[in-house]
This record gives sequence, structure tokens and C-alpha cells, in this order.
Amino acid sequence: MKVTIEGMEFGYSNEAVVLNDIDLDIAGAQLVSIVGPNGVGKSTLIHCINKILSPTKGTVMIDGRDVSEISIKEMSKISGYVPYTANNSFPLSVVDTVLMGRHPHSNWKTTDHDLDVVYDTLRMLDIEHLALRSFNELSAGQHQRVMLARGLVQEPKILLLDEPTANLDIRHQMNVTRILRNLAHEKGILVIIISHDLNIAATYSDNVIMMHEGRVFKVGSPMEVFTEENLRTVYNVDSEITVKNGRPRIVLLDDLYVDDDDPCPEGSYVSSGR
Amino acid sequence: MASRHEGYRRLCRRKVLFIAGFMILTAVVAIFSLNVGFYETSFSQVFDVIWSNLNGQPVSSRQDQLIIWDIRVPEALVAIMTGAALSVGGAVMQTVLRNPLADSYTMGISSGAFFGVTIAAIAGISILPGVGGNLATVFNAFICSLIPVALILLISRKRRMTPTKIILIGIAIMYVFSAVSTLLMLTADSETLADVYAWRVGTLSQVEWGHVGIIFVFVTLGLIYLMLNNKKYNLMMAGENCAQTMGIDTKRTTLTSLSIVSLVTAAVVSFTGTIGFIGLVGPHIARIFVGSESKYLIPASAAFGAAFLLVADCVSRVSGTYGLPVGVISAMIGCPLFIIILVKMRSKEWA
Repeated sequence: MKVTIEGMEFGYSNEAVVLNDIDLDIAGAQLVSIVGPNGVGKSTLIHCINKILSPTKGTVMIDGRDVSEISIKEMSKISGYVPYTANNSFPLSVVDTVLMGRHPHSNWKTTDHDLDVVYDTLRMLDIEHLALRSFNELSAGQHQRVMLARGLVQEPKILLLDEPTANLDIRHQMNVTRILRNLAHEKGILVIIISHDLNIAATYSDNVIMMHEGRVFKVGSPMEVFTEENLRTVYNVDSEITVKNGRPRIVLLDDLYVDDDDPCPEGSYVSSGR
Repeated sequence: MASRHEGYRRLCRRKVLFIAGFMILTAVVAIFSLNVGFYETSFSQVFDVIWSNLNGQPVSSRQDQLIIWDIRVPEALVAIMTGAALSVGGAVMQTVLRNPLADSYTMGISSGAFFGVTIAAIAGISILPGVGGNLATVFNAFICSLIPVALILLISRKRRMTPTKIILIGIAIMYVFSAVSTLLMLTADSETLADVYAWRVGTLSQVEWGHVGIIFVFVTLGLIYLMLNNKKYNLMMAGENCAQTMGIDTKRTTLTSLSIVSLVTAAVVSFTGTIGFIGLVGPHIARIFVGSESKYLIPASAAFGAAFLLVADCVSRVSGTYGLPVGVISAMIGCPLFIIILVKMRSKEWA
């Protein structure tokens, strides 16, 4: 699968232009992370790829076909999308929620195969025990894994995820990102995630797209993109980058507190009651 | 391996059982309702009349024939179809618009119909030329009840419509229609006012055999269409963006479902008047038993709505001196029942 974006621009109006001359070529079975500060247009970029938004200028192509000419139904077989926020207006069980993702492949009847795919995915994401629970009762982290499961059972060739690990604990952040990378490599799909955790992105991504002021600022391997200089330009933060197993590790520096001998204000404490 | 899905499959079978139970209940109540009223009959008389009519034989008692075959049978049939149609309409609108408050009232459909009735009955205006009397009332109600959705369709060609916007427009139209209708009612004489008022609260006592066929066509075709598209409505619950990425043309699905629901509701309320409560609450009660999955929610709402309206109609027939309007009774029994269920149910059981 190959995503080609040429001279793309997107704005909600003439004054509110979000994305500017985006040129990207993303191909192959890999995990790509999009990083950048809030409001830089990461989600907008993803929405332009999966046809939720139409670019105001330029084109988005998948395998050489203009996205605007691919039907919604066909698009749902090519690309899947996992949103940042999960909302179900009415209570549904976890299985029913995940089964929605099978829609592009199934017809009226829910087959045993559909259920097999759903249950396998739930097990992979550590939430099989929640299968019959109501979606609305779950925690934010569990919601996120259910949404992820729904994206996975869709079995798309391109999977776009908007901060898929934002609500997860560290073990599940690593677990989910590893699953996504393995999925990309083993099943040959293109996985694109938006990430705010630079270390997770650095550890698992094959390539990173760094955005700055509505444009693509740097594209390349984690080692190429995550440099102290780039982080200062894009995020306006100081950092120290070391290398572990050939991948960058980012330590954030906060000058204001570096020389502070007594970081805990007088009179404040936390006790466990024992 | 199959045992892994057993839990899920068992839940599904339980939902089907609930639906079947409600359907059987509807059938039982329907038969029972033929025996309810001020004119006393026995079950043997009822069966006798129905048997004779189905076989084309003359019925010995003219009175029995009139009360049972010409009044009670069509009334029961219309009650079933009306209850089912209003309840399913509410279920589909709530699901597609992702709003638990959507129904034919909040969409302005009912008030549109009522507006049509007042201009016919009070101002003597018929929208279709050359039609008078009762027929003018029915046509006016039908045409006016389609106005809100027509307007929404028109606006959505130019501008993006969110579910909230659609409901707000519906409510705004409802107020405009109600204001004009009230204005007209102020000028009406007391006899016309009583007629118009009876229509406003909804009644099944005016039903004739001629209505049954028309309602049947609209309701059956409408419900079949909605049921065939249940998966699309279900996916709409995931939100517009997600639904689209799973292959749903969300704008089209919203607009076609609203149009179909509006047509079916219009066909029903034109004859029966605006029967409240069922469209809003019927689906919520069905949800308690079968959950929100449209595949089960649509038939469960239909069965519950039908059974409920039949019961309400039986009660309304025997209360008061000449019976009371079914719309009043359905709200009076239904709403307290609904609040009790809502409070007693743990949120968990809504799934």
C-alpha cells in the first residue's frame, strides 16, 4: 500500500488554514508515527487521508488512485480508523461494538468467522474477559482498546490511529504499540499513528513524520527526526538524547527546576495511611 | 471452539425470545381486545363473527357484526400498526441521530400533522384542491407532517447538518406549528374545537376498514425498509466519522431514514391523531430488554409498541362515559411505568 500526498492544503475557511503544502510519500509495511505539538494538524492530516475531510488543494492518492474517487464503501475495505475519543450514544456490549468493524466484510448475518475474528482480537488486546460487558461501563483505557479492536477486525490495508495509547498505562502503551508494529510487519499493512509519547514513537516506529506550523517539518527514521535541535524548534523544549539499541531515547530537561534543592513545598505530603 | 461464542450467542437468543414473547403478547391482547367495550360480547360471539366474515357467510346478529367486525377489528389492527410504526420510528430516529430524545414530536412531524388538521377543520382550507370534509383533514395532516423533514432535506443540500441541528430545527418547527394552531383554535367555535382537540390527543375510535388498507401499505413497506437497513443505523451509533470509515454514507443514511420514518408516521397520525409517548418511550423500554443493537431493537420496539397501544386502547374504551382518547391513556399509564423502570433498572441492564 502506498499513500501519496501532493501539494495538499486544507483549511476550514480561508482564514483558518490548517495544513500547508504537504508532500508525502508513505509506502510499505511499516509503523509510521506522526508527531508534533497540539493543533499542528496531525488529526486533520489523517482525516484527509481517510476521506473524512477533503483537501482544499492538492491530492491524496492511495496506490495511485485519487481518494476522492474511491467510494465510501470501498474505502472502508482499504483503510480503517481508530478515533481518539470513544463515544457510544447508547449502551452496547463490547462484542457488538467491535462487530461494527466487520461491516465492510459481512452482510446481514453475524457469522462464526466474524465472532472468531472479534474474540481473537479481544484476546490479543487483553480484553477478552470484557466481551459481554457494556461498553459504557469500561474505563478510558479499556475503551481505547475496544476502539482499537474495532479498527483491527476491519482488516484494512491501511490503519490510521489517533493517539491510540493516550489513555493506557505504560505496559499497555508498549504492548499496543508493539502489536501495531508487528501487525504492520507480519500482515504487510501500513499503520500510521499520531503520538505524543516521543519515547514510544522512537522505540517502535519505522519512520516518523514530524509536523510544525501546519507543515511537514522532518521525515525519516527516529534517529534522524528526534534530535535535540528539532525538538527545540518544534516543541520549544530542551532535551537530551541518548542512544539505546540503535534508537534515540529522549530525556526532557526543565531548566527551571534543575537547581531546585527542595522540590517539595513545605507542609505538603502524601502518606499511605500506614 | 464454538463454545467461545456461546455466551454471546445465548444473549442473542434471549433477545429473540423477548421479541417473540412480545409478539405473542400482542396477539393475545389483540384477541382479548375484541371483547372489550361497553357493548358486552362473549368470546364465542367474537369467534363466530370473525369466522363468518372470513368465510363470507352472513352474521346472524346485525349488532354483533357492526360492533365486532366493523368497529373493534379494524381498531385493533390500526392499534397494532400505529403502535409499531410510532415506536420503530422513534427507535430509528434515536439511533441515527444518536439522541435519546428524538421522536415524531421533537422532529415536528406530529405538530405538522396537527397544524394541517386545524387549518382544515377551523379555517376550512384544503391543501389539495377539490377535497372536502374528513378527507381534507387527512390529506392536510399528511402533507403538513412532511414539512419539517422536507425542510431539513432542503437545508442539508446547502449546509452540513449535525444531529443536534436536525433536532433543534424539528423543535423550532414544532413551536411555530403549535403557535399557529393555537391561534386558529382561539377563533374556533366550541364544537369544532372539541373535534380538533380530540384529534390532538389521538384517538382510535374513528377508525374504519378503509383506513386499515392505507395504513397497512405504508407501515409494512416502511418497517421492511427500516429493518433491511438496520446495520447502517447501528453503525451510525459509532459517530459520523467512524461510521463513514466503516463504509456508511452517513448523510444519505440520515436523510433517507428520516424521510421513511416521516412518511410512515405521517400516514399513521393522519388517521389517528397525535398519539404521544410511544415514539419516545417505546424504544427505551424495548432497549431495557434487548439492548440497543438495531437488529433486535427495531422488532422489539415494534412488538412492544403494538402491545402497549392495544392495552391502552382497551383501557381507554371502557373509561369515562363514552371512552377517553387513547393518547391520554397511553401517556397516563406509560409515563409512570417508564419512570419506575428507569429508576429501578441499574444502568448495567441497559446493555
